[in-house]
Amino acid sequence: MRNGLLLFLGVFCALALSWAGLLMTANRQLGHLGQFKDPIDESINPAPLSGVANEGRLVYQDLGCVTCHTQQVRGEGYGADLARKWGQRGGYARDYIRDQTVFFGSSRIGPDLRNEGNADLHAGVDAAYLYRLLYAPQSVAPGTNMPAYPFLFDVHPVKGRQPSDYAVRITGRAAPPDGYEVVPTPRARQLVTYLLSLKDTYDYPIEKSRNAPGAEPKEGGH
Amino acid sequence: MTDSASNDRTEQMEIDASAKWPVLVFFAAGLFWLLAGGLLQLGASIQLHTPSFLSECVWFTHGRLAPAAQNALVYGWGMNAGFAFGLWLMARLSATTLRHGGWLFVAAKFWNLGILLGVAGILGGYSTSFELLEMPRFVTLLLLAAYALIAAWSVTTFSIRNTENVFASQWYLFGAAFWFPWLYAVAQVMLFRVPVHGVLQPVVEAWYVQGLYGLWFVPVALAAAYYLLPKILGKPIANYYLAPLAFWWLALASAFAGSSRLIGGPVPVWIPTLGVVANFLLVVPSVIIALNLFGTLAGRWRALGGSVTLRFTALSMGGFVLAAAANLLLALRGVAEHLQFTLAAELRDWLMFYACFSTAMFGAAYFILPRLTEREWRSAALVKAHVGATVIGVLFLVVGLAAGGWEQGHLLNNGALAFSEVTKGMTFWFTWRSLGFGLLLIGHLAFLVNFAWIAFPLAPRDTVVAEFRNPPDLELPAAPAKEGHA
Repeated sequence: MRNGLLLFLGVFCALALSWAGLLMTANRQLGHLGQFKDPIDESINPAPLSGVANEGRLVYQDLGCVTCHTQQVRGEGYGADLARKWGQRGGYARDYIRDQTVFFGSSRIGPDLRNEGNADLHAGVDAAYLYRLLYAPQSVAPGTNMPAYPFLFDVHPVKGRQPSDYAVRITGRAAPPDGYEVVPTPRARQLVTYLLSLKDTYDYPIEKSRNAPGAEPKEGGH
Repeated sequence: MTDSASNDRTEQMEIDASAKWPVLVFFAAGLFWLLAGGLLQLGASIQLHTPSFLSECVWFTHGRLAPAAQNALVYGWGMNAGFAFGLWLMARLSATTLRHGGWLFVAAKFWNLGILLGVAGILGGYSTSFELLEMPRFVTLLLLAAYALIAAWSVTTFSIRNTENVFASQWYLFGAAFWFPWLYAVAQVMLFRVPVHGVLQPVVEAWYVQGLYGLWFVPVALAAAYYLLPKILGKPIANYYLAPLAFWWLALASAFAGSSRLIGGPVPVWIPTLGVVANFLLVVPSVIIALNLFGTLAGRWRALGGSVTLRFTALSMGGFVLAAAANLLLALRGVAEHLQFTLAAELRDWLMFYACFSTAMFGAAYFILPRLTEREWRSAALVKAHVGATVIGVLFLVVGLAAGGWEQGHLLNNGALAFSEVTKGMTFWFTWRSLGFGLLLIGHLAFLVNFAWIAFPLAPRDTVVAEFRNPPDLELPAAPAKEGHA
């Protein structure tokens, strides 16, 4: 190994091979994955994010929620994701084409959020719950190590103004002093809208059949 | 002393003199980030068991603090230290001086300005949320340009080399010099300029993260080990003829290894499988490298007592073996089911970056800095404190993150357990983790003080006390190494 040019070519090829073999091949397979139109109810899936939810995606991104929360559900027989009600099924690649930024995450210090807005799985999770969770996590999830996000809320005296329709009702230790109300800022509302938009409820027929466990081989069959 | 030996010595002193200020500047910048990043990391770690810590201020919310710390450590400390060491070693092994070093100051300034803006950008809310690519887009070109300048110096130094042979350390440094900008540019283009769709983003992210650790930090650490061991022990690398095989094999397989991070994820199964295969293939180069390095050290373990550099290098070699094992284990489907998304996955990255790479850079610093400054380390107690804190801290964190990760996986995979119970069960391990980071920080502080004394002394030279053997004893081993390197 004395020839600098050969060394360079080898070094180049080593990485170029993985770029072509992994990234470009995957891109060829998945790059054109599109929405699926249900033949019966003619719904388009996955539905795109609403404008406000898309703003919330940016809040999720800038606060670094991905540091502690994954957004990927492992399928049946692999981990306890389904038992934990983090999804009704394992995730498909197609679920993610609606996400401009995909927050897979790599750490589960907090629970998975891929289906946080799925009311079938999380009965008590609505906007009011999420506001309380963000403002004073201990008030709704005692023992959690999720930090509070007081900067997403505006605490001000009610006196001299009309009470806000959006004021968060908080009782217990975290409650604001008498005569004050806790109002979510636009950023908080965007974030909560985004969180409530997180659900993979539609099951795609093609993916479903591909991911279904194989049938038991018939006796004497090939 | 023979004529050629004394010529070599003069030549080495010339090279050292030419590299002195660039190396000192990069090391100083690296140490600043090591301390700053370490403090941020400790803060982020404390938040996991004391969530109210610094939570009132949006700049220090956990989701921003943790990635800011990681970026400061990886790009600030890791890369700066790698530049300092890589430039010096490339000049030494190529037996040529580092020319026009002034440009490297420019590069150092831009690089560190980029990191400063990047880390502040993450704390200020401009994070991109992609692991190790969180720094806002506006610093990308700054970093790439600064890096290009630094890598160009390294590669140019290599191409005007005055030696016949090219030593193993040079392959690794040469490779690393090119791999980072390619990895970084491809990731930037595929994630931000022309973003790929859906789950392709995590694929690119996994490829980049593993590439950065496996094709930059680990190779630079190996370059250090391949150089320092024979140099200090005065014997050639054992089974050196296998080293080229290990290099190419490692390069090829590491580049593919990242996708095993996506095991069980919503991607086509061939993607993680390719990564699993690559991780299995990595066993061969890892074993060869271990044979090379531990084979060289075999029978000379007592030398560890006499050299701080050797102790750090041995620690780094241990870190390399553990990192290889962790990569392999986490690529097993059954193990990944349990340990994915836990502290054990963090341990894998931390082993590559800290236990393998950072310790190697400490060892190299203890070797290089006295030669460059022609002074001795001022305080032997601080050196001992650094070695002690690092050894204990590394063991402490390896045990804590492995056991804590195991516990976390166990709790998470018990579907009947409420999530608050998982958090409660993990509080002990999160506290353990903070203690470990705190311990390492003490060592870093000791190192920083000693570094400041040796690099920018205020006292006149004659008051400096000599604590260690004179460098020339180490420079001229009794039996010269077989592999021709300067």
